Amino acid sequence: MKTLTAFILFSLSALPAFAAEPPVAIDLIKSAIDNYRGLNSYSEASMTIHRKEWQRVVEMKVWTQDLDKSLVRVTAPKKDKDAGTLLIGDDMWSYAPKINRIIKIPGSMSNQSWMGSDFSNNDIARADDIIDQYTHRIINTSTENNKKIYTIESVPHEDAPVVWGKEILRVNEDFVFLEHQFYDQDNQLVKTLIASEIKLIDGKYISLRQRMTKTDNKEEWTEFHTSTIKFNIEFSSNTFTLSNLRNPR
Amino acid sequence: MQSFPLISALAWRNLWRNKRRTSVILFAMILGIWAMIVTAAFMRGMAIQALDDTIENLTGHIQIHHKKYLDDPVIENSFSISDATLIASLQHPDIIQWSRRIRVPAIISSERDTRGLVLVGIDPQSEAEMSFLNSAMSEGQYFQSPDDKGIIIGKKLAENLETRLGKRVVVMSQDLNNEIADRGFRITGIYDTPTEGMETGFLFMTLTTAEKLLNVTDVNSEITIISRSLEHTNAVLKSLKDKNPDLDIQAWDTLQPFVKLIEEMYTDFQYIWHLIVFMAMSFGIINTLLMTIFERTREFGLFQALGLKPRFILAQVWMEAVFMLIIALLIGNFISWLTVLSTGEGIDVSAFAQGMEMAQLSNIIPFIIVRDDLFLANFIVILLGLLTSLYPAWRASQLVPANAITRV
Amino acid sequence: MNTSWRFAWRNIWRHPRRTVLTILAIAFGAALLVFSIGFQLGQYDLMIKGSVSIYQGLIQVQKEGYLDEPKMRSSINNIQSLAQSLREKTQVTSIAARANGFALVSSNKRSYGTLIAGVEPKYEKMVSIIPDTIREGTYLSSDSAHEVIIGKSLASNMQIKLGDELTFMGSGRDGSIAATILPVTGIYESGSKELDRNLLQMPLKTFQETFAMGSHGHAIVFYHDDVKQDLVFKQQIKQALSSHKELVTLSWDQVQPGLKQMIELDYSSGWFMYVVLIAIITFSILNTFLMSVLERTREFGIMLALGYKPFNIGKLVMLEAFILTLFALSIGTLIGLLINLYFAAYGLTFDGMEEIAQMYNMPSTLYPQISFESTLIGPLVIFVFTLISALYPAMKIRKLQPVEAMRKI
Repeated sequence: MKTLTAFILFSLSALPAFAAEPPVAIDLIKSAIDNYRGLNSYSEASMTIHRKEWQRVVEMKVWTQDLDKSLVRVTAPKKDKDAGTLLIGDDMWSYAPKINRIIKIPGSMSNQSWMGSDFSNNDIARADDIIDQYTHRIINTSTENNKKIYTIESVPHEDAPVVWGKEILRVNEDFVFLEHQFYDQDNQLVKTLIASEIKLIDGKYISLRQRMTKTDNKEEWTEFHTSTIKFNIEFSSNTFTLSNLRNPR
Repeated sequence: MQSFPLISALAWRNLWRNKRRTSVILFAMILGIWAMIVTAAFMRGMAIQALDDTIENLTGHIQIHHKKYLDDPVIENSFSISDATLIASLQHPDIIQWSRRIRVPAIISSERDTRGLVLVGIDPQSEAEMSFLNSAMSEGQYFQSPDDKGIIIGKKLAENLETRLGKRVVVMSQDLNNEIADRGFRITGIYDTPTEGMETGFLFMTLTTAEKLLNVTDVNSEITIISRSLEHTNAVLKSLKDKNPDLDIQAWDTLQPFVKLIEEMYTDFQYIWHLIVFMAMSFGIINTLLMTIFERTREFGLFQALGLKPRFILAQVWMEAVFMLIIALLIGNFISWLTVLSTGEGIDVSAFAQGMEMAQLSNIIPFIIVRDDLFLANFIVILLGLLTSLYPAWRASQLVPANAITRV
Repeated sequence: MNTSWRFAWRNIWRHPRRTVLTILAIAFGAALLVFSIGFQLGQYDLMIKGSVSIYQGLIQVQKEGYLDEPKMRSSINNIQSLAQSLREKTQVTSIAARANGFALVSSNKRSYGTLIAGVEPKYEKMVSIIPDTIREGTYLSSDSAHEVIIGKSLASNMQIKLGDELTFMGSGRDGSIAATILPVTGIYESGSKELDRNLLQMPLKTFQETFAMGSHGHAIVFYHDDVKQDLVFKQQIKQALSSHKELVTLSWDQVQPGLKQMIELDYSSGWFMYVVLIAIITFSILNTFLMSVLERTREFGIMLALGYKPFNIGKLVMLEAFILTLFALSIGTLIGLLINLYFAAYGLTFDGMEEIAQMYNMPSTLYPQISFESTLIGPLVIFVFTLISALYPAMKIRKLQPVEAMRKI
């Protein structure tokens, strides 16, 4: 599953603790998704890109609606203030305030890194119906700190446009994902997204910090840290438009 | 002349009177002939291989494209095959095989890496005899049917992507609406060619698979044609161009001009080289013959005193040269043939791999003896050999008997 | 010693015709080799020059590691002042600083991911032919102008004309968003498809500003017409930069190994043929040497009987061969050299030159290289071969028995 959507998805968790019956994997995931169909959110977060010799922190505001619309606007550092990315469905536009232009990111650039991070444009952009392109099943259930934790294995379908051999998610009963692992087709772990700082906000359990690390290079990682988040916001109809991307209100 | 057998017999015996001397000059001649034939075979091998490679490596004899395709090889610049004129013109009797392709830029990703390359959608059957793919497979298999869903990539590409036969990769390209078209495909075959560029620059799938991925039908980037022979190509080219003025139709020599160049230069070079080698040999031949004569001055003088015509002496000396030439040619040709045989597939120049890549040649150069080349080498040797040995032979016949006999 | 030389000289000319033929053979070989090698090396020079003058330059200075992994951050600090100090230290002005990047470039109609180079227009003209290949418009006017030039193929694929604006978006050196809009002020056609389709150039300072480079850049490109001296220049530059441990100096073949290998292959196959040729000539004249020894068996027998050591007779024979060869080689080398000098002045062309020349960006006239290497190496090898072959007859002398020898006719 595409990463940003994944943690936007899983960090905004909702459902109350499960009833006694063990859930079916895809239902689990789908319910989690269904739960957000009508969910809008506004959050303020910072993204830290860490490398062996340097580190960069980008602060941003994020608006999301349904699961296929999101708007990201950079608030710091000063140089990149008001730069932004708009996603609608599979399309992605980028705004560069320095030149006051909006550019649609073509497919050929989809593997380029998004804002210099370890996420590619593709990771950020792809909508979620890709979940249907996997087969999911629960492979383990355990208990930690009195919460049930489900380990789900998601295997992409034969011709799904996914390079991974499989992905393993650990989700707890509050629908907070704890970990998302990406395995290659030889079952080697390539990268891992780990969630932490789980809090209860507006009646939902959310992870406020997610870090993506690479197995073969511990010095390089990207971390998202959400400082503020609100749910069920009313957005005006032109929030997710190109003009809004360009001109913040 | 009736004395021919006599002359020959004498010539032959004289030849072997001084075994060492004859052997040394024979060695020089054999070496020369060997050099001519073997280097000719090497250069011919290079030229033929470059040509074959070009034709096999997707170029074919003739290619048809949309007029804008070669400058901008995207999916929009394709043409339809349902045009009756086009189909009719492809029925030309000298066209042995033709094949449609979709050929667009794409991006291939594995778990570890992403590369840009060219996606080639082919019709497995018609393509099988035309291009290198079918016979270059090193793992897995060639497409079994037009609906085969797998893809075939080059060995080096698989290495670069850190993936293998049987694994899935994601291929992404753009459809006619500029929308992303991407899908996962299993690698069902891996091919190995001597040119690295061929291994990393392409990925192959069936036309049907490509059409599904790109959501198109009857869209062709190119049609490749194999004509009956290189010589027939021009006529076929003309006919196609006349009937299809809206399409860009070109033959291999304009599509890949470098190859033709090698061939042309080679032919010129060959003549010069043969001449040079022969000149080098000729000094030795003349000198040796002259020495022979010098030694046998008394003998020749005696012959003449006994009444033999100068013509006879000329013929005899000349005959010695002729015998030497024949022996050298026989042995030289034989050894050349052995040499070429022993090189098998050809010599491996992969130490110069990157250089060969630049020259668009592969790393294994075969030695190929072509009848015309062989004929040329032998012809030059015989002709020039006969001519140059005329001088010493003539000298011999000019000896004045009295002087000759009294010489020591 | 003098007597031996005179003796040898006289012996050589005992049979003038034979000697002349031998000299001709050796001289022919020498002249041929001098001519041939001169042209081969001259051709290589032209090929190298043609190739490096397009864009790559003769020598490049980069941060260590940049060649294998061209990251934005793998950069050279204060690149322009470093380039200037190099110009002063080496007394060569054709040195240009560059910065390289990758960005999404959009016109009204299309977007492409392309390579962008930030250049110093004044100096770039001296290291690359691209500024000379502008077909429309003009080249960049200054270090900080708001201009960009684009290759012809790319311009037509993006459907833009002179004056149209291009939007650039990429990642800066510090990871920030790099964005700018620049008008197309020139369209070039370098002849290299790869460049024409992929490379845009903007002024260096403009690049540095857009991509947050500060005063950094990625490569200092050095060019000089005298490509043969590349290693000398490389040494010079290395020394000039000795305090900068993080930089490496790369010669053209390290940046683009293919060309050098092709040249090596060609040179090797050339030598294969030369050696064969020399062998043929050597065998051709071996007989001469043999003859001249064998026919003097009687003479040598007498000398032996008179007390001459066999070794000394052998030395005499070798001396003859030595003098003859040297004489012949001098003539041959001189002729070859004269021919080369002639063509060095007037050039040589033949059929098919035009096209090949185009491929390698070479002029269509060939000039031979006149140097010690090109002139002497062929004759030197002939010399060695000939003397070795002369050893054979010389050895035979040692086996001579005086009495037997004197009896020979």
